[in-house]
Amino acid sequence: MSEQTEQNAQVEQSAPQILTFCTNDNAILEVERDVAERSVLIRHLLEDLPASGQAIPLQMVNEAVMKKVIEWCRHHQKDPPSTGDDDDSRRKTTDIEEWDQKFMQVDQEMLFEIILAANFLDIKGLLDVGCKTVANMIKGKSPEEIRKTFNIQNDFTPEEEDQIRRENEWAEDR
Amino acid sequence: MARDTAQTPTIPRLRQLQGTASYPPELPAPSLAAPFKLDEGYSDETRSQSDKEVLNPSPDDVMPLPDWVLAHSETERAELAYTLLRTLRASTVSSVVERLAPLLHMDPVLKLPPEITSEIFSYLDPLTLLTASLASRAWRSRIFDTRLWRDLYIGEGWRVDIDAVNTYEQEHSGLSSPQLRKSRSRYADPDLGEPKQKKRVPPSWLDSRVTGSLDNHAPVRGSALQATADADTEGDHLMSDASNDRGTLSSPGHQSPTSGSRCESQSNSGHSKSSVQAITTTSHRSSSSMLVRMPNGAAKINWPHLYRQRRRLEENWAKGRFTNFQLPHPSHMEEGHQECVYAIQFTGKWLVSGSRDRSVRVWDMHTKRLWHPPLLGHTKSVLCLQFDPRPSEDIIISGSSDKNVIIWRFSTGEKLHEIAPAHDDSVLNLRFDERYIVTCSKDKLIKVWNRRQLSPVDKDYPSVSQGSGITYPSYIVDTREIPSPILEAEIANNHIRTLSPFSLLMTLDGHTAAVNAIQLNEDEIVSASGDRLIKIWNLRSGACKKTVVGHEKGIACVQFDNRRIISGSNDDTVRIFDHASGAEVACLHGHGNLVRTVQAGFGDPPGAEEALRLEALAVDNEFRDAQRSGANVDLGPGALRRAGYHQNTHGSRNPIDIKSLGAKIPPGGGGSQWGRIVSGSYDESIIIWKKDPEGRWVVGQRLRQVDAAANASYGDLDTAARHAIARSNAFAQQAQIQAAAAVAAAAAAQQQAPPLPTTNSTTTTDQQQQRPAGGGGSRFQHPAPPATFNPSPLDIPHFPHPVHQQQPQQPQPQPPNRPPPILNPVLAAHLNHPRLTRVAGAALPPTSRIFKLQFDAHKIICASQDPRIVGWDFAADDEELREACQFFTGL
Repeated sequence: MSEQTEQNAQVEQSAPQILTFCTNDNAILEVERDVAERSVLIRHLLEDLPASGQAIPLQMVNEAVMKKVIEWCRHHQKDPPSTGDDDDSRRKTTDIEEWDQKFMQVDQEMLFEIILAANFLDIKGLLDVGCKTVANMIKGKSPEEIRKTFNIQNDFTPEEEDQIRRENEWAEDR
Repeated sequence: MARDTAQTPTIPRLRQLQGTASYPPELPAPSLAAPFKLDEGYSDETRSQSDKEVLNPSPDDVMPLPDWVLAHSETERAELAYTLLRTLRASTVSSVVERLAPLLHMDPVLKLPPEITSEIFSYLDPLTLLTASLASRAWRSRIFDTRLWRDLYIGEGWRVDIDAVNTYEQEHSGLSSPQLRKSRSRYADPDLGEPKQKKRVPPSWLDSRVTGSLDNHAPVRGSALQATADADTEGDHLMSDASNDRGTLSSPGHQSPTSGSRCESQSNSGHSKSSVQAITTTSHRSSSSMLVRMPNGAAKINWPHLYRQRRRLEENWAKGRFTNFQLPHPSHMEEGHQECVYAIQFTGKWLVSGSRDRSVRVWDMHTKRLWHPPLLGHTKSVLCLQFDPRPSEDIIISGSSDKNVIIWRFSTGEKLHEIAPAHDDSVLNLRFDERYIVTCSKDKLIKVWNRRQLSPVDKDYPSVSQGSGITYPSYIVDTREIPSPILEAEIANNHIRTLSPFSLLMTLDGHTAAVNAIQLNEDEIVSASGDRLIKIWNLRSGACKKTVVGHEKGIACVQFDNRRIISGSNDDTVRIFDHASGAEVACLHGHGNLVRTVQAGFGDPPGAEEALRLEALAVDNEFRDAQRSGANVDLGPGALRRAGYHQNTHGSRNPIDIKSLGAKIPPGGGGSQWGRIVSGSYDESIIIWKKDPEGRWVVGQRLRQVDAAANASYGDLDTAARHAIARSNAFAQQAQIQAAAAVAAAAAAQQQAPPLPTTNSTTTTDQQQQRPAGGGGSRFQHPAPPATFNPSPLDIPHFPHPVHQQQPQQPQPQPPNRPPPILNPVLAAHLNHPRLTRVAGAALPPTSRIFKLQFDAHKIICASQDPRIVGWDFAADDEELREACQFFTGL
């Protein structure tokens, strides 16, 4: 216990504290603690773990994705922390700020992996931006265009498709 | 917890994440990586469709790569591939690129877990979602997600009776699992020991689901819901908030929180069985769509279905599709009021009415029959009433032009107490909650009474204040002046009186004319008077907190919530005021005579407060910008003075239409696009106001009491005939709107009511053919034909300022001397149709002035000069919709 306190005292002096992470493809990444703590998962991890100085294993994330995630966290380092559940009442908008839009201009595999990583690491802001990005890819498209966008195989028979179209007609007024 | 997960990545999804990351970062091109991995024979590769044969060349088609190639690193292989491609002609490269393209596009529904796709879909509107649901079966099943559609439903500002939903789910669940029981209905059965009507759904549907006799899409949808409904629990909280909220939103009828305006899905009593389902083509599986069965046998409400039904219901409101009904039942006319009806309120299946015939009547709206014999006690017209049928309350309170207030037991009809006299003149309106009764009168006063015994140490005991205009009876002690130990001692010694129920607590004197209408919400009273003013009072201190000015003549009715005040006036307008600032945010012109009754539902979605404030701020800023840029905009009287422009006062946000700044709500009052105001007038019409796409209030429908009464009296027609009526109504309404629009465009001149609907000829013939054989011979006593009706002007709330002089001061006929009954009410209504008589130029008195209306999610009911109480049911005769209506509450 006392040893741990000592260690903590030591590291607190040396700001900014650098953390090391080991991704699942065995890359070692160094990140400032403030940046890494955009991830609620990592923040809780650090609260509960003694700072051993060892690399923290991230078995869920590969280096390329982790680098993107770190880039995002660094840019959004000064953002006010997410207030949690206050967004129940939000009026959902898919507006994305310009930097984030550029950031999200990646191939789909990377996009989905960033979303998965944000979900796993519990970085709400990044998860939201990712989900909005995908939502915007769906908006305003016909079913056929959506299929094309995401390489989806249409497994409806034409009759089924017709039937569903008819069932959906109620929404088209107003 | 989270940390554990991090260290033991055992859940499959996470392993996938791990798996996907196994190519070097220098080459983030999955298009190259994927085929390679495929060749390596990744057997657990399920993360994307890249292993789908349809998308990739089957292994047989791919030229096997030599080992030496595979021995290279990914970077080197990429270089190699690039070099190789460079040797090709551009067209070949292009075709290779084309073949690779699908690898760059992957399906999020396969790639991402349901909780994340659900998050993605939550950013999309219903139409987009439905379009996207056509992408594939997997998409469709993810999109038909319970939580998603419940949130969409709530986000529209629609309310739901969550108790009814929970009860329904329990009743239909095969097993009683504990989590289903958690929210037992908070209120005891409002049906007062009457056998419960459980079987809203034919018992057979469960079987039909099991045997798969549904259409071919149901299984897809069903499994989708099963898959996702587990992640379903956290939403419940939100829902109960939303449903609890509803009490604050609305008007008289919604104040009692008992399954508030829980709709009744029962069909009219005259409904005969019919296989014709003209309105909807999907109704063959109507009941089976209401529930989704969980794998454990539990039943869950089908939110996508509920959402859809609500949209259809709203469309019926917009298009004017409805059926009519009346109280009394056409076959039991003898149960009806003898004279005009001034007051109604309904809650659940109950409706209570008060009439000039001095009686209060309690109706069962399922059967359309009288529940008790008429409640007799008042010696003059019953002008106002409120009731609460919950067993804990079990009360009706009525006020009369006999100056008295009577308290009745709702369940038995027995008279419990009479405050005689309550006022020095007619009691024009009253409201009560669990603590107090507030009454207002033609004597210009407002009085507050306690409902339960009160001792000076109770928190509901009035705290005496020295405001001007407030007076207390001598027995009210100023508790601030007596130290509490002494106070307690005095009470113990009986030196200070404990107030018995129904004691006068305070009198508020501030209006200079009759107080026509009053509303009560928590510690606020809002009153509206013939002196053209609306006043907001603090119920505790009796202080008048605010006076709202705007109407140009006396005010007849008022309703308020925490954000806005809505009133109707003898200046023929409905106005909306910002509760916080008193600013007028809309003035609706459409009626041609006094607006006697109004109810509004703004449909605020959760969290609306902030949104409203921001909207209001944006409007203010836009106005200031316009002002700075030199546009011709002005506030207040200046705006009115400006020549050549007629301001749009119906809620336009255009800077040139703005009359005042600093409101906490935007012009028009804000709320969802489904917001609705219903107003009833002495012009004998009811207007349903709705919002146009720019958020301005416009006339959506104009309804006439006489038309409803005519339609309602075919209560015993078969369904097909009633469909025909519903359709012709819609048609007539359409014509009416167009005509009204034409009239409005032609001139802002005279407020002419729109032309008569053209249904008369058809309906009359229908009616003649379809009259029940027994109808003519039965001994029912039909009320006096409307034309001979001449309500005493004294009984109608009082407007000292210029009031309808057109009302002739004829001697009143005494009830016993009514002319011989006409046995055909429809014909009577038509013969005496005000429009016809007006066209004929005869100065006959009006016959169907609207005195009071109330609406809920699917119906409007109104009381008028006609002794018949009539209603419009926008669920029409659509069984599927009727079934869903049991869960819908207002806006």
